[in-house]
Amino acid sequence: MKRFQWDQNKFGLEESTPTSRAFHHSIRALVRERFEASGLEWKDFVLAGSNCGLSESDFRSVEAKLLASGYRFDVSATISAKEEPEKYKAMKGQHERTVNAEIKDGRMEVGVGDNVVTYPASVKGSALYVHTTDEVMAMVMEGVPPGSIAIIDDSGGTLTAPILEHFAGVICMGGSVRSHLGILCREYGIPCFMNAKIGGINNGDRLEINCAAPARSAVDCQKGIERTAEIWKLV
Amino acid sequence: MEAVKKPVTYAQLLETNNLMQINSDESYWLCVTRTTQESKLFPVSPYMMLSYANAFYRWPSLLRKIESRMSMEECGDRARNMGTKTDTLTMGWTLPCFYLLGREWLINMGMLRPEDAVEDVIYVMDCWKRMQLSYHRNDGHITNSQYGHRSQLMPERQLQVFEADLHDMTPGDALHVASSKFMATVSQYQFLSHCECRIGICNQGPYSFGEGRELIVRDFMDLGVGDYPWLDGVADKFPFHNLTVPMVVKDTHFELMDDWGSFESKPEFRAENIVRIGLYTSDLLSDSYVPVAMESPQALAAKFTELTRLISDANQVLWKKIAGWSRAEMLEAGALVYYNILKDVAHIAGVYEQSDWMEIDERAQRLVPLLNDEYGRDVLTELVGLLTLPSQVCNDYTMAMHKNTNHRMYSPIPYTILNTGDYTATSGPLGKGSSLFKKTTGWRTTRGVLDQESYNKAVREFTPTACTPEARFIDDSWVKYHHKDANVEALYRHTQTRSPRLANKGASLKREDITKLRNG
Repeated sequence: MKRFQWDQNKFGLEESTPTSRAFHHSIRALVRERFEASGLEWKDFVLAGSNCGLSESDFRSVEAKLLASGYRFDVSATISAKEEPEKYKAMKGQHERTVNAEIKDGRMEVGVGDNVVTYPASVKGSALYVHTTDEVMAMVMEGVPPGSIAIIDDSGGTLTAPILEHFAGVICMGGSVRSHLGILCREYGIPCFMNAKIGGINNGDRLEINCAAPARSAVDCQKGIERTAEIWKLV
Repeated sequence: MEAVKKPVTYAQLLETNNLMQINSDESYWLCVTRTTQESKLFPVSPYMMLSYANAFYRWPSLLRKIESRMSMEECGDRARNMGTKTDTLTMGWTLPCFYLLGREWLINMGMLRPEDAVEDVIYVMDCWKRMQLSYHRNDGHITNSQYGHRSQLMPERQLQVFEADLHDMTPGDALHVASSKFMATVSQYQFLSHCECRIGICNQGPYSFGEGRELIVRDFMDLGVGDYPWLDGVADKFPFHNLTVPMVVKDTHFELMDDWGSFESKPEFRAENIVRIGLYTSDLLSDSYVPVAMESPQALAAKFTELTRLISDANQVLWKKIAGWSRAEMLEAGALVYYNILKDVAHIAGVYEQSDWMEIDERAQRLVPLLNDEYGRDVLTELVGLLTLPSQVCNDYTMAMHKNTNHRMYSPIPYTILNTGDYTATSGPLGKGSSLFKKTTGWRTTRGVLDQESYNKAVREFTPTACTPEARFIDDSWVKYHHKDANVEALYRHTQTRSPRLANKGASLKREDITKLRNG
């Protein structure tokens, strides 16, 4: 094999995300370097025995190269930033949106979300942000304040596993109605909005979520049909 | 004498590429109807990528090891008669797709060509095909998607037992309250014990139950101590490894049961529409489904409540344990849960070894330094959602199923290798493995907690009744015309053995007979 296939890709070579692009470019360069230095046929280089001649330290160097350029990574799991804060950007805060400040019937719209299940009536409660395992642990030990509407930026079902059933409602600033958190809220019968966009909500604010609105279906998601329901702050 | 190596044939490549494209099309649909699952607790996308690489390097060898003792078709027969982790999700989607996702990732890093590991790719896809055709024998399809997103896996004899024995319930009664709480709690535990992954839960159906009612069957698997070392000391008291909950739902049509074992219904599924429910356990040694506290609605409600308490306690202990893990432990645990998703097939064949299924191969382990949160998220998103990795772009005229753009998820094997012979055959034998986790207890089974050797031995010495030579090939189309044959009658009576209402009723019953038995 005289040329590498990726040199001849007729329809383009570029990954669409910067980290994938940078990493794959570096790795392909390493493969080229090791292959040319090996003197092997590709069939003897790619898998059996040689496995492209790349070791863990090579892949470590790929990440180090991008970090040395000043690039810092988005963080997803709390543990990642906790263990290696130098690698990651500061964790994102709330997903703020512009608030419609009009007060009507003693309430102000402060957000919208995708309703998981339609219930007979809306639900009221107090806003309670839940971001970290430390916050969850505190509630495991001390209990969840009654009537809490949790505001969570994690669509998973594990962060809040020991306390989820105690929430009066859930607002999740990510995911979809088929995400794990949405599935669990449906099972527990907890009103839940996924993929929510909110603004101007502080811990302890009295909220009302319109879980009587139509639910967003999988078909809606697939066809890109927006079907949101309101989140109000009671004033 | 060394076996003569057979050349790859055109027919093999045609079929393999077709099977890959089927998975490419369906995987895109499955992935695009959800967002990438992120978690504040687990580095989910990074661990998924690690699992795919591990699957690519290890599964071909492990599938060959399984088939050295039992064919995929026979494994499928056994899987069809119990609720273990050989189901729609694990065998139907992850077997081909985790392997192919690992392959596609390596192609895009320049560490593989589409014409590398060709014999492995052919073999893995062939294993998938044979397993699926056997597992789906009753509905005659290879996947749920081929059936319009439906799975009707069970034979009449099992469904009749469910129809006869499931208990009625109404919203607000003790059974309804207890079962709803159980379902939510066990679902939560499954997400946690599986490191944010949905593979501990799978649904099948729907099955017509007449009068506008439909049955779905929900399996909750790997609940007790078993393959996952982190459940040692957490799930020791849990008396069942797998639980199956058949439920009859009124006024609800399950219009979609996808290859991830997830459903969509019209109107949306609500607990108050469940009108009948049951509880069963099964495993490789149980000889089909064993009823759990099915003697009365009261006993069943009490059992649901008892199990909910046990699971809730385990949930609290496990969450605290996991919250104390390092990122490396979370990454590895998640990767192992994904990677070992085929391990119940090894259990079925009686060749399970913890080192095969709960270790990361050194060839995959070397990739860990790449797997920060952002790269994990972005490469996964490109790989399964955007389809924008360089290998996934096709010619300008292509219109992909579900997307209408010129992309596909998995690279086909080029046919030109038949002329050039320029391809590699296999990723080779298992590499050296490692794990941060050590297993300290045995495996929960319906014969108690067994160690690895005893478990494999017991499985090898046991043939489920439905898989004996005289019963294995009895299917519903044969029963239709031969329900009075002795072998058919015996198989039905065996399935009915543990049924309070159907014991010894035999193979000639129809729905109206069962309705009379329920009412009588």
